Order: sequence, then C-alpha cells, then structure tokens
Amino acid sequence: MAGRTNGGRTLPSLLSVTLRRGLIAGRAYLVIGIIVSLILTVVLLRTSHGSAVFVATFPLEVPLFATLGALGGMILFVGDRSKGVLEYLISYGVRPRALFVNCLLATVVLSTIVMGTTLIVGLSGYVATGHSISSTLENSILGYTIPMTYASSLFAATCGVIWSTLSTPRMGLNSPVGVAPLLGVAPPVLVLVIAEGVDKSAYYYVTGGAALGFLVLVAALLVASSRLMSRERYLSPM
Amino acid sequence: MVDPSISRSANGPSKAELSCVDVSSGYLGKKVLDGITFAVDEPAIYVVLGPNGAGKTTLFRTIAGILRPYSGTIEIAGRSIEEQDTRDRLHFLSHVDGIPDGLRVEEALRFYGSVQGATDADVNRVLRLLEIEPLRTKYVSQLSAGQKKRVSIARIFLRERELYLLDEPTANLDPKIAAEIRDLILKLSKDRVVLYSSHNLFEAREIGKYVIAIKAGRLNLFSRISELKSAKYVVGVRTVGGERALPKERLQGEYYVFELAGPEEVSGLLKELEEKGVQVREVKELGNPLEDLFA
Repeated sequence: MAGRTNGGRTLPSLLSVTLRRGLIAGRAYLVIGIIVSLILTVVLLRTSHGSAVFVATFPLEVPLFATLGALGGMILFVGDRSKGVLEYLISYGVRPRALFVNCLLATVVLSTIVMGTTLIVGLSGYVATGHSISSTLENSILGYTIPMTYASSLFAATCGVIWSTLSTPRMGLNSPVGVAPLLGVAPPVLVLVIAEGVDKSAYYYVTGGAALGFLVLVAALLVASSRLMSRERYLSPM
Repeated sequence: MVDPSISRSANGPSKAELSCVDVSSGYLGKKVLDGITFAVDEPAIYVVLGPNGAGKTTLFRTIAGILRPYSGTIEIAGRSIEEQDTRDRLHFLSHVDGIPDGLRVEEALRFYGSVQGATDADVNRVLRLLEIEPLRTKYVSQLSAGQKKRVSIARIFLRERELYLLDEPTANLDPKIAAEIRDLILKLSKDRVVLYSSHNLFEAREIGKYVIAIKAGRLNLFSRISELKSAKYVVGVRTVGGERALPKERLQGEYYVFELAGPEEVSGLLKELEEKGVQVREVKELGNPLEDLFA
C-alpha cells in the first residue's frame, strides 16, 4: 500500500518500511550470515589451491548462510503478530495475505544481500587468484546457488511464520523462530551430503532438481497457508 | 493539551451510522458473540460494558473487520465493513499497544501514518497533541507502559474518521494523562460515534451517553446511561461529630454509608443527621447503576 499525500510530505509505503524494519530486526543474523560466509569463502580460496574443490563446494555453501542471514523477515512477522501490529494493519484494510507476502519479500531482500556479497567476494577472489569462471561454476551458481538460496530462505520463513501462528506462543530457542533456521538450512545441507556421492553426470540434476523441488514446496506451503492461516491467526496471543 | 485539529479523511466527515444485525463471531469456529444487533448514528460515547470474556474485544475486532462474522452483517453508512472505503471511516484502538519494535516513536507513528494516508505534518501534530514530543526520538522499547499507550492512542488522531472503536483506551495511564485522554475523546464524540470499553465504571458513567452491555456474547442492554436506575441508592456522608451519633459499622474510610430507596430520601437523611447533632461536610453518591450490569 503506497503512502498517500494530504498536503504534506508523503510517508513511505508499508512495503518499504517493512523492508527497512526487516533489515533492522534481522541485522544480527544478517551480519553473522555475511561474515561467516565470507570467512568460509576466504578459507576455501586459500586452501583449495586448485579450482576443482572451489567449484564443487562454493556454490553449495552459499545458500546455507543466506538462509541464516535472511531470518529478519520472519522475526519481523512473528514480532509484529505478538505485539498486535498485524491486527491494527488489518483494521486499516491491509490484506492479511499482503502482510505475509511483505515478510517474504523482506526475506528475499535479506537473502539477496548475503548471497550477492558472498558471490561478489568469492568470485572476485577466485578470479584474482588466477582462475577463470568455468561453465561448470557458472551453471552451478545459476542452476543451484541462486534458486536454492531463495528456496531455503523462503522455506525457513514460510515454515516459521505458519508454525508460529498455529502453535501456542513460546519464547526462546524452543520457539518456531528458534527452530525455523534449522528447517531452513536442512535443504542445502541435505543437498551438500547427497551431492558428495553423486556421479558427475547426475550432479546438475540432483542439485538443480533439489532447488526446484524446494521452490515448489514453498509454493505449496503458501497455497496451504491461505487455508491454515485464518484472520484469527494474525491476532496477538496476548 | 491543545484542541485536536484532525486532518480530514478522504471521504470527509459524515454520520457513521454503524449497524450490526444478528452478528455472530468468534475465534477459530468457537462462537463468542451470538446474534448481536444494534445500530448507532448519534455522535456520542457509547460505553461497551461487560464482564471479562463477555465479548467486548471480539465485538470491536469484528466491527473493525479484523474478524469475519460467522453470520449477520455489519455496515457503516450502509456499506459493508469488508470494503476499503468503509475501513477508511473507522479507527480501532486495541487493548494491545501494537507499537512495532525497533522503531523510534516518530518512526512508529510514520509507519501507521503511511497506512492511513497521513503526512509528516499529521505526525508532528499528534506528537504535540498527545504531549509525546519529548519521546519523539526514543525507541519504543525504552518507553514505559503508559508512554506506549499514549503513542498507541496518538495513532487514532493521525487522520479523522467517523467511527472510533476504543478498547480500554485509558488502561495503564496515570490519572492526569487518563483525564486528558478522556477530554480528547469527549471532544471527538461531539460529532463522532465513539464505542468505548472500560472496566472503570465511574469513568464510563462520567463520559458515556449510552451503554451497550454485553453478557456471555449477547446484547444484554442498550440504553441511555441517564435512564439507568440502581437497584439501591447508596450515599456516603462525610461528617464532623458523626462518631458520637452514628454506628461504627456504617463508617467506610471517611464516609458513613447509607442505603436509600432513591435520591428523594437524601433530604430526609440530612434532616435526621442534623437532629442528631451531626454536621454534614459532604454527601456523595457511592453506587453506580452500571455496576448492576455486572451482576
């Protein structure tokens, strides 16, 4: 919903405020996600020596940390629900679906920041150490890293939001907010393990198929959420 | 506090004409409200009363369009609450503050302003109106419960609406601020319909013109407060020398308490006390007809 004017300066739209708040709410995770990802990238660049290890490993590790760094969107939604912010927004005519979608858009922006930073630093370092970007690396990034980054971070956010609205409010690491990151990193970890033992000819099918599969799963969860999350689910439990 | 000069909504002010017809509503299929029917259009404060769990908050949430009624219709000025134009006619104040975390007070108001179509000028005006300008740059998490409540209330003054649904607006406020908020709401009610829930029956009687009593999810009473009569009329009398002539059992604090049939018996009581040599300093009504609605 865009800001409207009334003779004064226009206020920012709800979406832009939500994105900015997502950055603030999840800044600790964002910083940790970027730093850890960069450390591992640097370690990989220094120790892999040859391009084969880097090409095989780098594209697989990025989604893990992007998922961790993108938790701000989910944290924002869960916090706003418990504070009663969502019910106010609904009373002003904001559709509940839009609130959920805004949270997912914040997740996409945050995961893009982590993924983009890691890809830029990692690939720049790779090129700077005398390697060229091969079609294998390019295909892995386009076919797996980018879709799996969005699939796993959206999976974590969607599961966290649905779970937190369906369950009794709990705080701390035992809450859906605490457990959702583990759900989010599960897909890329699973692929990491499976890809290790897969024949080279099947590698792209496994990794690309897994990314596609989780994107389809996220879409299915979103469809299911409209049935599961009636308006009452957006109310503060207080 | 200064007089509120609220900016006009897109539709401009007009009669709210809220009508609820046979409204049933609740949470996750569990009915809380059952067949509520009433209509209001006269600008005034309508005090919504009822015991805990009676359905007051559910009623407000349903009128505000947050909960969808299981059955029945809610209309404002003849239009369904599901329409955006209708939403633009009302303000809802929940018992939950609803102030987003991680924002400064000014940012929180700008956040809600963006949804309501308000401007920076509106935000500055309500910061002055609610006397929260010194809190402008403070983070919401740094505020006391009362300060948060004031910020929450400030939101309903960002844009002018025709219908105000205020769920316990003065809870958690100190008496001075509560009185100032009540004054602002009273001014609003001169040409606006205000539905106001409170557990403070004296406050309700002081500012309300009508009472809407909810009991176990049903409309128990809709009446002018002035037309309500207590089952008993209780007065407290502060005296000089009462301890010599009046029984100790009647004393509650500084007042001797008497149950009368009605206000017409007060003059007789005063005469009786005078005959006993008791000097009367003050007589005040202790009972509140609204209390009977909780019986």
